[in-house]
Amino acid sequence: MKIVCVIPAYNEEINISTAVKSVQPFVNEVVVVDDGSRDHSADLAQTAGATVLRHIINRGQGAALRTGTQYALNSGADIIIHFDADNQFEASEIPDLLQPLLQHEAEVVLGSRFLEKKSRLPWNKEYLIMPLARLINRLFFGIKLSDPQSGFRALSRSSAEKINIENDGMAHCSEILYQLFRNRQKIKEVPITVIYHRYGQNFSGGLKIIGDLIIQKIIK
Amino acid sequence: MFQQILALAVIVFFISRLLQQKKQKQISKNELSLWLTFWGLTAIAIIFIHQIDQLVARLGFSGTAINILVYLAIVALIYQVFRLRLIIARLEKDLSQINQHLALKNK
Repeated sequence: MKIVCVIPAYNEEINISTAVKSVQPFVNEVVVVDDGSRDHSADLAQTAGATVLRHIINRGQGAALRTGTQYALNSGADIIIHFDADNQFEASEIPDLLQPLLQHEAEVVLGSRFLEKKSRLPWNKEYLIMPLARLINRLFFGIKLSDPQSGFRALSRSSAEKINIENDGMAHCSEILYQLFRNRQKIKEVPITVIYHRYGQNFSGGLKIIGDLIIQKIIK
Repeated sequence: MFQQILALAVIVFFISRLLQQKKQKQISKNELSLWLTFWGLTAIAIIFIHQIDQLVARLGFSGTAINILVYLAIVALIYQVFRLRLIIARLEKDLSQINQHLALKNK
């Protein structure tokens, strides 16, 4: 059973070594996709023991995940984990995501910030942006999940093969969920803890995601 | 009358900028011709605005038909901007594919 962890990174030289080393005990290979960083992220990731793929120009987190996932599939991965480079996720929770896959309870396991474990989200994110995102997901895409924008996920090989991330930017989160639901994948959510070092997506970022999803739908 | 003078003054300003840009070789001769034609026609339309309005009214539109033309122009502009947005999105998609291809190939 080969487990590959994909970490997209853009100018993450402060965090990338810690992120790589933290996930290494739980997976067979760590793949860092350096998305056109102007700092030493790629070199540091390599030194930490990761396989590094380099985007010559910055194209966004969605594009980096697509490259990393494709590499993982090409290298024969059975399970692919998507993880963030900024150490906001807890690597020690990777086994929680793997367990339902290993026991064939699910084909995809998504980390959720809104189950038993409580993450300290900024209040407007918890009570305004996330409920709105949840509502949009439910109304327009038929997605019924507690966390509408989680980036911590584990995919079985067959699920990863069915997903085609078209959105280069942050809209990939909604897009992945939509494709999982459309392909009727067996999904399980498990509680995760998120430590916020940065604010992340704000309201205008949310609007941009909606705009990107619409544009992508048109040009498809 | 005042509005017409103001609009003409704006056009004169843009034409003077164009001539300056041509002098500094920032735009080509063809570009200058295109924009001079555009601003020239706009100036003619402003000078003869009342006659155009009467013409439009004679064609069966309401007395404020020129307003409708302005609205149509705005719709056309929005459409063009949207078209450009789609073209850029397609180009970005191609760019990302090349990026991914290179990243995987160079591994």
